[in-house]
Amino acid sequence: MLFNSYVFMAFLGIALAFHYLPVSWKAKKANLLLAGYLFYAVWNPPFVLLLWLSTLVDFFVGKQLYHAEGQAKRKALLLTSLAANLGMLAFFKYGGFLLDNFILLASALGIDFHPAKPDIILPVGISFYTFQTLSYTLDMYRRKHAPERSLLDFSLFVSFFPQLVAGPIVRTGELLPQFKSPRQATAAQFMHGLMLLSLGLFMKVVLADSLLSGPADMVFGAQMPLNIVDAWLGVLAFSGQIFFDFAGYTTCAIGVAAMLGFSLPDNFRYPYAAAGFSDFWRRWHITLSTWLRDYLYIPLGGNRAGKVRTYINLMITMLVGGLWHGASWTFVAWGALHGLYLSVEKWIVSRQDSRAGLPAEAEPAMALAGQAVIVEKSALPLPILRSPKARTLLLVLLTFFLVNVTWVFFRAADFTTAWRLLSSMFGMAPEGAALLPTIDMIKVSVVTMGLLATHFLMRNTAVSALVQKSKWWAVGIAWGLMLVAIIISQKSSGSFIYFQF
Amino acid sequence: METTKMARAALLSLAIATVFLLGWEGFWRSQGFIPTYNDDKALWAVKRKEVYQPPGSATVFIGSSRIKFNLDIPTWEKLSGEQAVQLALVGTSPILTLQDLAEDEKFAGKLVIDVTEPLFFSPNPAFHQSAQEAVGYYKKQTPSEKASSAISLALESKLAFLEERRFSLNTLLNDIPLPNRPGVFQFPAFPKGFEWTTADRQTYMSEMFLSDSSDLKRQTDIWTSLIMNSPAAPISGEELERVLAGVKNSVDKIRSRGGKVIFVRTPSSGPMEAGEHKAFPRSQYWNRLLEMADAAGIHYKDYPETANYVCPEWSHLSPADAIDYTTHLVKQLGEKGWFAMKPNILNP
Repeated sequence: MLFNSYVFMAFLGIALAFHYLPVSWKAKKANLLLAGYLFYAVWNPPFVLLLWLSTLVDFFVGKQLYHAEGQAKRKALLLTSLAANLGMLAFFKYGGFLLDNFILLASALGIDFHPAKPDIILPVGISFYTFQTLSYTLDMYRRKHAPERSLLDFSLFVSFFPQLVAGPIVRTGELLPQFKSPRQATAAQFMHGLMLLSLGLFMKVVLADSLLSGPADMVFGAQMPLNIVDAWLGVLAFSGQIFFDFAGYTTCAIGVAAMLGFSLPDNFRYPYAAAGFSDFWRRWHITLSTWLRDYLYIPLGGNRAGKVRTYINLMITMLVGGLWHGASWTFVAWGALHGLYLSVEKWIVSRQDSRAGLPAEAEPAMALAGQAVIVEKSALPLPILRSPKARTLLLVLLTFFLVNVTWVFFRAADFTTAWRLLSSMFGMAPEGAALLPTIDMIKVSVVTMGLLATHFLMRNTAVSALVQKSKWWAVGIAWGLMLVAIIISQKSSGSFIYFQF
Repeated sequence: METTKMARAALLSLAIATVFLLGWEGFWRSQGFIPTYNDDKALWAVKRKEVYQPPGSATVFIGSSRIKFNLDIPTWEKLSGEQAVQLALVGTSPILTLQDLAEDEKFAGKLVIDVTEPLFFSPNPAFHQSAQEAVGYYKKQTPSEKASSAISLALESKLAFLEERRFSLNTLLNDIPLPNRPGVFQFPAFPKGFEWTTADRQTYMSEMFLSDSSDLKRQTDIWTSLIMNSPAAPISGEELERVLAGVKNSVDKIRSRGGKVIFVRTPSSGPMEAGEHKAFPRSQYWNRLLEMADAAGIHYKDYPETANYVCPEWSHLSPADAIDYTTHLVKQLGEKGWFAMKPNILNP
């Protein structure tokens, strides 16, 4: 069920009531587990079987993996888990894509092949819980953690409803230990969670759905070249929409978990204030980027096998990241662009380091510090740019500009639409049509400026810190206004964009 | 300390939200607005489930806003003794809905197809969008969506401000009169009190709208501008034949299962009526449709008692005339053997 639905509000009330009943911790965990299954089943009941399959395979294989001695046996067990998890993902998510590409390849080879189009429904959130259980299996293989002994706790780890369908993707060590002792939110934690839930709903219902989705849909749905202003406003609208939609979801997830007494990791840290792409990936969908870093980039060799290999590893990681989002070549192109950006950034940094006589930077690329691109002060033509803040702002704006270019591929239904929009954005369609009504132009401009300003001002802090240092009445008024905006925006039937991934 | 601070903040936010909610609802009520339903795909899906009734128990209506305004459901049910399942969609051609019912093997009931020529015979894909969304939503509706829809309908029946098309943030912002750049089309905002929608999906003009001459003028101006700005010419030639063949195919499928189909053209008036008759000559469109589908039809102009209604805003009947028109429609359908039992109105 959607967080932004009436039925979720009723469900949450009941789940909280059960969680705070004076019963044993085991009974409370069982309640939470049932709540997770119910939460998932109301989308499509049979797909709960996938959760159970994933849970059982990884629980038992994980245990064996940890204890097994022979390398061959361990590899066979690992392959069993990978085949079960990735097989499920391949069938449901990539089946149609693989078949389409096979048909194209066959056609290119002159083979006339027209199989029936499979009607596969994508189980919501499958990429999220698959990656979560995969991380557990891989941790068992590496013997990073002891295997979970309780099937109840492990099932809850896979099906914990606040983050089940769109993350944050949690690791073994982050969530499983929290099930070991009774959890109950303190009054302050509960109310903080409630505030985060309100904030997340505000981001989703008011900003993403009410103000930005319309202009974004209009521009990306246009079948003709557009005026440069409309093209950019449409892309900026999507840029804001995707952030508010996804960050809104995870903010709700973190808030709901806090109300139950659990803590989930941050998934966003003001990504549009990123100065450079390594910084961007430290701020955007953090739990996915760290997953890709730990379970793909580093095992591929990271930056330990020479420069060329590092760039190849970066590209592979980002291409997989692109494909994770969706079974389409446009997502691959989105990942490729990010891989390219990261590689170029890395190349610039390593050149500057070698000029300055610094040792080769040893961190994995996706965990680089924010000051990725260092510009020598003397090389800057304008005095204002000699101020560190101005330089950071410049880098932030450049990064934001380049990120927006990638969103075109992420949102466009196909390459034709993407190229048409990019042509319009870069002034190659001088006769492009004006599309957006004035009110939509105002909405997108105001929200985008507010978004950028907030991210820049908050780039080194967090909501909880801001709340802590604010007066109670200021928090209350801001919170109340968010509720008012949610009430006026009314029901938002829009599903979360990331549910499809 | 932290607990006290958060508790105070939470209470303040709750107070702000509660005061606002009461004030907001009270304000719109004081302006004459009443609780009504969002005429959306969720409400459509509720009615779509009701099509599987035996032919003697219900008639399904598809079409556009005309039949939603012009069919008075209580009158229909009282006179015919049958339920009216209203599946027409505002601003939408019924062709996709017809296809959906034709493809549904379980549907073998009675179907009235309302024909509003500018929508029915238009190539504009925008006139199919709502039907596509509604049918898609119905087919994929999750248990969660069904439960949310039930809660939502219960709330909408009590709170006036929950009418999205009137009072949502987006609508309120879009109502701000701002000039657009040349060439930019923005769908005009209808007068706020134009219509109410019932749980049965009947739509009727509000007294507030009918008694306000400036609102009536605004609405007729909107129709004029929409007709003037209509980018697409009516379909003709091969395209028309293709559409008619598609309709025939769907109608045949329903009839092959024992279902019944009839076409209905309900009244319009004034410049709207004149424009429709001019752009869609009856011989080329309405008559061809009946001929091709080999189906019966009821055209309001063929009956003196329904030929001369005056629609307040040219396109839809007033609630009083809708009752009168429905009375005649039941009689006209009864004469064509539409009902298993003789309707009350045909009894001496």
